Amino acid sequence: MTTSNAVVSVAGLEKTYGKANERQYKALKDINFQVAKGEFVGIMGASGSGKTTLLNMLSTLDTPTKGDVIVNGHDVTKMRGNQLADFRAEEVGFIFQDFNLLESLTAEENIGLPLALKGTSSRVMDQAIHEVAETLSIADLLQKYPAELSGGQKQRVAAARAIVHHPSILMGDEPTGALDSTSARELLDLLTTINQKQAMSVLLVTHDPFSASFCQRILFIKDGQIGSELRRENQDRSAFYQEILNELGTFNE
Amino acid sequence: MLGKLALAGIKNRRRDYLVLLAGLTMSAAIFYMFANLATNKAFIKANAVASSASLIFGFGAALLILITIVYIMYANSFLLSMRQHDYGLFMMLGAKRKRIGELVFLETLILGTVATAIGIALGLLMSKFLVGFLLDSLGLHLAHLASFYVPAIIATAVLYVGLFILASLFNLIHLTRTTVLKLLHSDEQANQTQVKPFRQAVAGVLGLVLLGIGYWALAAIKVLQTAAIPLALVTITLGTYLLFRATILMFIRSLRKTAWAKKHLNSFLLGQLNFRVHNYTRMLTIVSLLFAMALGAITVGSGYHRQLPMMAGNFGAYTIAVHDKTAQEQRLIDCLDIRHQATYTQKRQGKMVYYNAAELTKHPFEQLKMTTGDNVKTSYVTESIKKFQKTGPTDMDFLGLATNSQRMLTPKIVSASQFAKQSGKTTTVTTVRVKSLQRDTPTIKKLAKLERQRFSQPAEMTIGSYQSYEMMTGFFGGLEFMGYFLGIAFLAMLASCLMFKILSGAPGDQRRYRMLYKMGVRYQLMRSGIAKEIGILFLIPGIMGIIDVLFGLQMFKPLMQSPMSPYLGIGSTFAIFLGLYAIYYLITLVLYWRIVLPKTAVK
Repeated sequence: MTTSNAVVSVAGLEKTYGKANERQYKALKDINFQVAKGEFVGIMGASGSGKTTLLNMLSTLDTPTKGDVIVNGHDVTKMRGNQLADFRAEEVGFIFQDFNLLESLTAEENIGLPLALKGTSSRVMDQAIHEVAETLSIADLLQKYPAELSGGQKQRVAAARAIVHHPSILMGDEPTGALDSTSARELLDLLTTINQKQAMSVLLVTHDPFSASFCQRILFIKDGQIGSELRRENQDRSAFYQEILNELGTFNE
Repeated sequence: MLGKLALAGIKNRRRDYLVLLAGLTMSAAIFYMFANLATNKAFIKANAVASSASLIFGFGAALLILITIVYIMYANSFLLSMRQHDYGLFMMLGAKRKRIGELVFLETLILGTVATAIGIALGLLMSKFLVGFLLDSLGLHLAHLASFYVPAIIATAVLYVGLFILASLFNLIHLTRTTVLKLLHSDEQANQTQVKPFRQAVAGVLGLVLLGIGYWALAAIKVLQTAAIPLALVTITLGTYLLFRATILMFIRSLRKTAWAKKHLNSFLLGQLNFRVHNYTRMLTIVSLLFAMALGAITVGSGYHRQLPMMAGNFGAYTIAVHDKTAQEQRLIDCLDIRHQATYTQKRQGKMVYYNAAELTKHPFEQLKMTTGDNVKTSYVTESIKKFQKTGPTDMDFLGLATNSQRMLTPKIVSASQFAKQSGKTTTVTTVRVKSLQRDTPTIKKLAKLERQRFSQPAEMTIGSYQSYEMMTGFFGGLEFMGYFLGIAFLAMLASCLMFKILSGAPGDQRRYRMLYKMGVRYQLMRSGIAKEIGILFLIPGIMGIIDVLFGLQMFKPLMQSPMSPYLGIGSTFAIFLGLYAIYYLITLVLYWRIVLPKTAVK
């Protein structure tokens, strides 16, 4: 069922924790879904539902017990060692709840890191950094250290670092979790802009209905399984937000 | 309950604790070994080289205590950095500060006591075997060296347990003054330091001036006498510190602006160093000084050892004299690389010994001439028989050719015809001077042994420079041994200090490398990045220390006579020392890799 324009294609994914002779726990059970190129997809679920485990499988931070994960044509379940590292460095952009910026580096150096890893020349790197900084309106913050930035600013720097090398997919793990409501809205608007203008696929993992309402499609996950799916279609965001709340009301019962 | 939690905490981190315990144990063991040698009165008396020996021992003891204090400080901060988060958690769970305080105090003290106890036991073993081995390999035999010495055990125990009580108190104060939140997030803070160019420049220049004064003081030890050492210590310490502060940060900052910094993990490396080096300045200063002291001690020690045979040329006109040489002795002599050899016939009667003037004319007796003054030059000269008639009979080397069991016989040079008529026991004596005593030592040793077996004589009546050399070896033995010993002890402690300081930063780095891992940095790249970072932190004090030593050796110039020089052959000493230092680097690196590098799967 793989369609040619899918960036992420997950089939029969399972993850079991614990060894064969111990008490086993199935974190994910038979997950199947796809993310089309340029799509903005959300994965919602309560704590412990398995959404972070799923994201870790997709981003190769963890290995599945069974099933296939194909990202931009690469079967990540068959990769080993350096291949995995290179895959993460080239194909995936990450935004985390706790920013994960390196506090010993300036914003500019943080943003440039993915390019430096590729061995990009410093001229090209400078250009790329300034372009992305312009897009995210953080050009005046480049020389500052993370400790000198507010939460919202930090997350924008993190977003810049995530997209500076043009990955095939941007993954966010509760990126608004540590932000105040204004900063959260700004970041989500930014992600929408990046998604639309650069046609970058975005996969957002969240438990927050407000964040989820920025997505085009939402997968609800519960006890390690995808329970239902919502599409925004042509509704405006607040209507979609209401729909999500309704869905959550019944989904969590 | 709290005690249980604490125990569980230790269990979970038993590997880190083992590192700490091992380091402390080693330090205690070395201290015991040293204290044993420094305080063991029977040993010192039996081997007292001169009044300078007790001074050296005292100086060494003081330095060792100083280093131990610094060492325990860093070991303690490593311990604290490991436990901080747990303590914060306990407090968050509602544990009273007072209880936590007791816990910290006890934990530190128990660790210290255990380390001291094992350390003393290990020190006993080391004194027994290692010291013996070291002495053997130096060719020394020091008398009355007992491995078990109660005052030394007491000194070690009191010092270490005392220092640990201080450390526990320090931990107590630190923990009770810090807020719970700070403790919980202690590893997430990174302080950026401001660079003020003018101040930095002034500090840099001042540092250079102070270093200059310090190095001058060491070189001018003859003028300044004993004031030179404290003056040099203060100025070099301050100078090194200021210079580090001023230059390293500036250097790193300017590197960060280059294109090189934008390749691979270089920017990360520089960033790490940038905010680390500032904290490390004091530490690096101390370590570079310790490095210098350790290297200096070993250099001087091995310098005496290696250069003594060179000095041996100054001890006498011939290396060895053999009487009535046997076939076996002749074979040994044939193996030598000889510069000068002569055989004389003696006729001994009563207290007199007669020589044939004709023989002495044909093979003139070589005499040792030394110039006086700063730059002693030695030469071997021969004189006409007429002149020799006057001076020869009083020349000590010439006198030494004929001795009986009580005294040296009085020599008389007579004409060939008179010599033929002279009654008395006829013997021959062959004097041999070799090119290099160092190279021929084993053969000469055999010769000397044979000679002594045939003609027993009192030890102080030396025949030839070889026997003087043997005596001198014993004489310098203590000094030399101290050099090696102090050097190794210093090295062990300083490298451990550096190790703990670096390792105490590891928990914070864990998070950073986790981030890098998530971003897709290859393992190999992270490994080499860490190797570079730690390598630089080891290299900086190393380079500074080597410079200190090169200047510091000036101090020993007046102590070593001219053919000897503190700078001769230091290459191999440096190589051995750097090899040991490199081993410490590798240990630190492997431990760091283990602590910091993320495991493959996300927990």
